[in-house]
Amino acid sequence: MIKTIAKPAEKKVTGCGECRSTCQSACKTSCTVGNQSCERVTREQKIGEEK
Amino acid sequence: MRHVFTYCGHFYLYDTGSGSLHECDEKTARYLGGEEVEFTDEELRETLRDVEGLQKEGLLDAPEPAAAPIKSEELKALCLHVSHDCNLRCRYCFADEGAYHSVREVMRFETAKAAIDFLLRESGKRKVLEVDFFGGEPLMNSDVVKRTVAYAKEEAAKVGKKFLFTTTTNGLLLDDETIDFFNREMENVVLSLDGRKEVHDAVRRTVNGKGSFDAVIEKAKKFVRARGDKHYYVRGTFTAKNLDFSKDVLFLADNGFDSISLEPVVTDLPDLAIREEHLPAIEREYETLAEEYLRREREGKGFLFFHFQIDLEGGPCLSKRVSACGAGNEYLSVVPNGDLYPCHQFAGEKDFRMGNVFEGKIDPALRKKFRDSCLFTRKKCSECFAKFICSGGCSANNYHYCGDIDEPYPITCAMMKKRIECAMHILAERKTREN
Repeated sequence: MIKTIAKPAEKKVTGCGECRSTCQSACKTSCTVGNQSCERVTREQKIGEEK
Repeated sequence: MRHVFTYCGHFYLYDTGSGSLHECDEKTARYLGGEEVEFTDEELRETLRDVEGLQKEGLLDAPEPAAAPIKSEELKALCLHVSHDCNLRCRYCFADEGAYHSVREVMRFETAKAAIDFLLRESGKRKVLEVDFFGGEPLMNSDVVKRTVAYAKEEAAKVGKKFLFTTTTNGLLLDDETIDFFNREMENVVLSLDGRKEVHDAVRRTVNGKGSFDAVIEKAKKFVRARGDKHYYVRGTFTAKNLDFSKDVLFLADNGFDSISLEPVVTDLPDLAIREEHLPAIEREYETLAEEYLRREREGKGFLFFHFQIDLEGGPCLSKRVSACGAGNEYLSVVPNGDLYPCHQFAGEKDFRMGNVFEGKIDPALRKKFRDSCLFTRKKCSECFAKFICSGGCSANNYHYCGDIDEPYPITCAMMKKRIECAMHILAERKTREN
């Protein structure tokens, strides 16, 4: 029996560079890039709201 | 690539190509891992049907995704070393107890201002820029921090950009005014605390050689109470002296800190450095922490541990995953005299000086070296299941331990892989609970 726990969602945008810079998160020595959420959409929304 | 692993009686299969995580029974796990297994006819039919179904869906044995690393030369973030001085003398400090193997000095406002201008100019079309106030201890130069924030906001508004600020502090100079300022202006605050008093005091000492725990803990608690729902991390370090570090994480959680990161020390001090013989104990400790982490979560007393967050469904895009942290290309450090380095861990190393904010140029050869460095140039990562999650590790760690930014350090890798397996187990347990 094999049960799928998680599979990646399809992404429309890649490589935009608007996500958080890895070293600004917490560790400063042993980054895990995969544990960061892509923040592009929320950030652009925030900027839009502030305008 | 299949990665089959066992975790506290659970059997998991992670497919590196698709990034999917599956749970299975023991026999199936052994079969998927390449062992010869005696199945009943019905078991075999079911297993083969499951495998074929996943393969058809692209969730097993999927080809590795084609992704190009980010080649843009638009700068995104600066680490501003506003103080190359510190009011602590932590034994394991990579920054030479704040002095970075040079004179103790602070950054002038004119230099910080030039750094902000430089970042705005070099950021191209990017809208969201980041500045991390770092040291030494940045609050030893808090006036420059405050003036820089005000200046950066004003200049960014003129060109339709936005800054997100972070401060990394040991908390010794936290007062009501600073807490208010942080809560108003800082997107994130990283507060250094190692955990239990005896662990903290053994390494995080004042200039007079005394432990700093008592001078910091109440200030840190006050800050976190006032922080509300804004981001912060209590960020500690563990060493060979506290391989039972889950107790330190839980101590911090018990004291009201609910956003915690605890990192393995980066040092060559013989009594503190993590060595290969420590790995079994460290791996067991991560498991102990993961079990308690889940138990507290089930009881509604959960907290956040940085390395146990993993996002297999969303998370960064593939380009980001193969490009790693961006040090030396989209992220640079600025030391008090304005010199640029690939990141804070290279600060002061002459071979890695990349320019100066007053000159306004970035050394093209060094920048190319860091921009070209990515998952695919880290040959040893090619056969690792974790490669699209860790991105080949920290360039500075690789360089300082192995002499090459593309050569991952096996001890760091072992700890990283264990943390990822713990995070996957936590994710699976959560999903099971939700369903």
